[in-house]
Amino acid sequence: MKAAVLREQNKPLEIEEVQISKPGPREVMVRPVAAGVCHSDLHFMDGSYPYMLPTILGHESAGIVEEVGSDVTYVKKGDHVITCLSAFCGHCNKCLTGHLSLCQSPEVSRTADEQPRLHQNNQPIHQFLNLSSFAELMLIHEHALVKIREDMPFDRAALIGCSTTTGVGAVFHTAGVEPGSSVAVIGCGGVGLAAINGAAIAGAGQIIAVDMVDSKLELAKALGATHTINAGKSDAIGEVMEITRGGCDYTFEAIGLKATAEQAFKMLGSGGTATIIGMIPVGTMIELHGVDFLAEKKIQGSNMGSNRFRVDMPRFIDFYLSGKLHLDEMISKRIKLADVNDALNALKTGEDARHVIMFD
Amino acid sequence: MSRVEIESEVTGNVWKIEVKIGDKVETEDVLMILESMKMEIPVEAACAGTVVELLVKEEDVVEEDQVVAIIET
Ligand SMILES: [Zn+2]
Ligand SMILES: [Zn+2]
Repeated sequence: MKAAVLREQNKPLEIEEVQISKPGPREVMVRPVAAGVCHSDLHFMDGSYPYMLPTILGHESAGIVEEVGSDVTYVKKGDHVITCLSAFCGHCNKCLTGHLSLCQSPEVSRTADEQPRLHQNNQPIHQFLNLSSFAELMLIHEHALVKIREDMPFDRAALIGCSTTTGVGAVFHTAGVEPGSSVAVIGCGGVGLAAINGAAIAGAGQIIAVDMVDSKLELAKALGATHTINAGKSDAIGEVMEITRGGCDYTFEAIGLKATAEQAFKMLGSGGTATIIGMIPVGTMIELHGVDFLAEKKIQGSNMGSNRFRVDMPRFIDFYLSGKLHLDEMISKRIKLADVNDALNALKTGEDARHVIMFD
Repeated sequence: MSRVEIESEVTGNVWKIEVKIGDKVETEDVLMILESMKMEIPVEAACAGTVVELLVKEEDVVEEDQVVAIIET
């Protein structure tokens, strides 16, 4: 099969012929129909997050089941699925206490002694986050996918596989935004826009979108933002304080920078909670004013929206099909696998919402 | 000759150790692979030399900045 391989950091992905193993007992072969190009792919490409190379990036996709392992009963050939990197084992302490997205059980990957799922001329290709979706086929654990209704278009389903779940999940699950509360979202890329849309669905009163690109702020308004701030032109913290008369109940950082993570905390009112969604580069320290803890301000991380994706993703699809979740606006371009590097470059400049690879 | 401490950049589990004591390594060779929040993260040699100590074994939990190996240059 063809796949986009990352061999060296800061080099373009190469389209290469790669071999994929047969499904093991609990594995499923999926033929992706659509794969989103997500900002997190860039973090691994530019090395702000180290990863074993060579690897095949891509972790946001939807497709059709091609073949199932001998023990798989949840899906069958032909089923429509969304894949998710939050593969869960189902029986560790995290899973059993309802924190499936924090499961770190190694059993959802192959062991070091087994034949790798992906390889090329007998050399292993490291699977990316147990998925690797920039490829014509994916071999994944049965707990890394969810079956979906067949009237859901694949390209929009793919977005639910990462950015929607990450943004909406951070609002619903990690933070637990209540109706009427005030929310600020810093960064209006795919995840930030999903958080804004999620805050609107959750019934937040004020939803303040913060970004440096006016076109993204316009999109934020269409998705439910009540106020927008161009942080390149004005003092974002000051404006948030004025709009909310003293700070937000909830803030979300969806960029992954020290400065914006600290801003998210500074935008809080007393008792408020800042949720850091963005991937802050390894080794970066965050500094806060200790006195703010007297006002019961909180800061927390959110990974993949604290999801229970087999429950969440079908609900998000229902939200989309009933008009509450906006996904059509999120796809700026549909491309071929061969053009994946252009999509990654477009993300770097920050102008476009999202490119989605459509497989033939 | 000097002893260089190799640290893990992140918290994670040791999934696979790729070298043994006495192995000669080059800068950026992968010494071990950690698994952390679904990511496969390499611990690389910071310099060329000989692996003289491995301070963790497979399946161990390692913390950020923990010394996991020593290379003698
Ligand atoms: Zn993503
Ligand atoms: Zn588990």
